[in-house]
Amino acid sequence: MAEHILDAHELDVDEIRIPRENWFESSETLQKLRKNKKFPTIWCAGCGNGIVMGSLIRAIEHLGLSNDEVALVSGIGCAGRMPVYMDFNTLHTNHGRALAFATGLKIARPDMKVIAIMGDGDALAIGGNHFIHAARRNIGITSIVINNAIYGMTGGQYSPTTPIGKQATTAPYGNIEPSFPLCELAIAAGATYVARSTVYHVLELDKYIEAAIRKDGFSLVEAVSYCHTTYGRLNKFGTAPEMMRDLKKNSISKAAYEKLSAKRQAGNSKIVRGVLHVNDEREEFTKLCRKLTEQAQGGGRQ
Amino acid sequence: MADAISVIQPPTVEIAPRQKKPRGEVIVFGNWCKGCGLCVEFCPTGVLALDEADHPVVVKPENCTGCHWCDTHCPDMAIVVRRIE
Ligand SMILES: Cc1ncc(C[n+]2csc(CCOP(=O)(O)OP(=O)(O)O)c2C)c(N)n1
Ligand code: SF4
Ligand code: SF4
Ligand code: SF4
Ligand SMILES: [Mg+2]
Repeated sequence: MAEHILDAHELDVDEIRIPRENWFESSETLQKLRKNKKFPTIWCAGCGNGIVMGSLIRAIEHLGLSNDEVALVSGIGCAGRMPVYMDFNTLHTNHGRALAFATGLKIARPDMKVIAIMGDGDALAIGGNHFIHAARRNIGITSIVINNAIYGMTGGQYSPTTPIGKQATTAPYGNIEPSFPLCELAIAAGATYVARSTVYHVLELDKYIEAAIRKDGFSLVEAVSYCHTTYGRLNKFGTAPEMMRDLKKNSISKAAYEKLSAKRQAGNSKIVRGVLHVNDEREEFTKLCRKLTEQAQGGGRQ
Repeated sequence: MADAISVIQPPTVEIAPRQKKPRGEVIVFGNWCKGCGLCVEFCPTGVLALDEADHPVVVKPENCTGCHWCDTHCPDMAIVVRRIE
């Protein structure tokens, strides 16, 4: 039986959504992309970044948003190149500062769907402060972090998500630093929608990205990907298809994880995929801002 | 593609009673494809194969189930599946 069909059994039936019929041809964005001189992308053959891009396009299409209602903001890095290829409002900013720019944009234009696309280094190393404070404020930004556990663009330096013991150009004897659990960090800092999946399980990503864009508050989708060119080569993980297969093997759905005994949960080293956190109580930051402004304007003159 | 479908139509039911009909039509855009091999490696029914230049070619069109694995995972939007009803 087909391998990915077996995987589907691990999931809730509702979790899977077959792409809309002829999604490729009916997507205006993709039709524009096809005529765009910037294609093909700069990404290495088989890099997961392009898979996340497809997922984002399908999620936006499914929501029925017009291209003008959406703003994509990114920093620098391979992941950060993504907005360059798409026909939305885009801000391609400094390394690590996607959320700083996105925050300014969202405050000026609260009506916009602001989506920040970051790499793991971008979001958690140089941009770590912006990340926790955007979550703390619960500002209505959708962040998509493509976690490939390395600085891909600059040649394979270890990042805050590189596992202990793995090789990087800056860790020739193996990394000794513990990594930041991205989703848990976002939850602790106050994010109101947090979900994770992998590029192998891309149809899950479609759904999570869509839900994250819908969420009025700070939302995070961690898209676990791979960089076969630097991280994969340094650690002898093989080609893109081989690393893709590893994502399938080394991940578990949240539903299956919750069925494990406490002991096995504690010993779990697999990537847990699913909606990890939703908070419907917290109010979104720009809404609070507006309330405060109205209050100050109305109340101040009496 | 239409030719490929007509080629596999059995002349009579008796000669090839179990001949399948494809449920998807696969199109590869050669100038976008980077030959990463993901679609070939993961297609569950072996529709695709890499040629000598490492580019995917449709070798068994009749096997396509229209499952969309390949076009939702291609990092370069270089492959499209159209479902055949
Ligand atoms: C202020 C600043 N510091 C450092 C860099 C160099 N730099 C560019 S991309 C990058 C890291 C990229 O890693 P990540 O964010 O994980 O993205 P990936 O390439 O892996 O997708 C670094 C350090 C820079 N461009 N600007
Ligand atoms: S260097 Fe790594 S992350 Fe960057 S495009 Fe190549 S495979 Fe992707
Ligand atoms: S997945 Fe896409 S880029 Fe890779 S070989 Fe197939 S068609 Fe080409
Ligand atoms: S749609 Fe499915 S069966 Fe058809 S070529 Fe693509 S992966 Fe193979
Ligand atoms: Mg990275």
